[in-house]
Amino acid sequence: MPHADFEVIRQVLAGETGAFDALVCRHQQAIFRLTYRMTRNAEDARDLAQETFVQAYRSLGSFRLQSSFSTWLYRIAMNLCLNHLREAGREDPTEVDARVPDGREDSLMALLTDERDRAVAAAIAELPPQQRATLELRVHQGLSHREIAEVLECAEGTAKANYFHAVRALQRKLQAFQGAGESG
Amino acid sequence: MMERCDEIRDDLIEFAEGALPPDAHRRVEAHLAGCAACTREAALLVETLTRARALPGPETPDAFWADFGATVRQRIAAETPPPQSFFLRLGTWGSRISWLRPLPALGAAVAAGVLLAVGLVYTPRGPRDLPPAESLVVGDFLAIAQNLEALEHLDLAENLDLLEQMSILQAPELDRTHARS
Repeated sequence: MPHADFEVIRQVLAGETGAFDALVCRHQQAIFRLTYRMTRNAEDARDLAQETFVQAYRSLGSFRLQSSFSTWLYRIAMNLCLNHLREAGREDPTEVDARVPDGREDSLMALLTDERDRAVAAAIAELPPQQRATLELRVHQGLSHREIAEVLECAEGTAKANYFHAVRALQRKLQAFQGAGESG
Repeated sequence: MMERCDEIRDDLIEFAEGALPPDAHRRVEAHLAGCAACTREAALLVETLTRARALPGPETPDAFWADFGATVRQRIAAETPPPQSFFLRLGTWGSRISWLRPLPALGAAVAAGVLLAVGLVYTPRGPRDLPPAESLVVGDFLAIAQNLEALEHLDLAENLDLLEQMSILQAPELDRTHARS
């Protein structure tokens, strides 16, 4: 896949600007997934994901072939998300997509699942931005610590430490939620 | 000798992910076999990561992506000039060759020197019929000079041999002797 991306980049830089569509199609779902998980708002996520590709197009001439295009896109997207979160303040997780009932799930189980998902989303939203970023990139995008460091432009040790702090903070918050649920 | 709990604790998250190398994985497993507290901790971490992974993502109908791509195209067309073509393409190609990367400032200086030399060539010097193709070459260099950012990416300018091979610099009609005087 990286070589295919590089070939398209060369075409765009050679003047075939329409070729950029191929890069958008190839990476749009991953980028939107990231911006959605960071913002938990579909409209904001869509705008940020689209802006990611516009900025990537604008800066394409400065992309160096040493890194992967997807990592570079993640970096642009994550910077946009972190700026968005800073400007908006610590957001409340406004959305947890309701599971579509499939007819086989007990309605009480579905309700409990929704409540648990809301608790997880709320706990993640409360994490400091850098910890949250490492958690999203590792857990939902499947990046290695080295790739996360490249996206966040920090040392690999820093990315790893932020991730470990994020997981332990999430664990404590979920334990507190479970404890409150059991006593209430 | 059994590892201490605080020595194992740092590895528990990667153990819960299944991301430890085999030797480290066996070491943690051996500790957990004899430590109820760390076993409980590991189980909680597994549950935490499982719940985080299970958090639902965005649900997007097919029409969403058609509109997404169209909007990106519209925004690019409305806001952005196309990426620079020739010289930035060279810069991208040149950056793959490590010995061409150093001293971008020197490259910019060399490129400026080349532009100056070409400028001297085109100084009016009396009746002379200039071939029409030369005006296009001048236009190319003027466009380049107006975009200094392109020069910063002109890593290949460090290599004068490659510059001479660039077709836009080759103009047999030029009186290079006059340019050097």
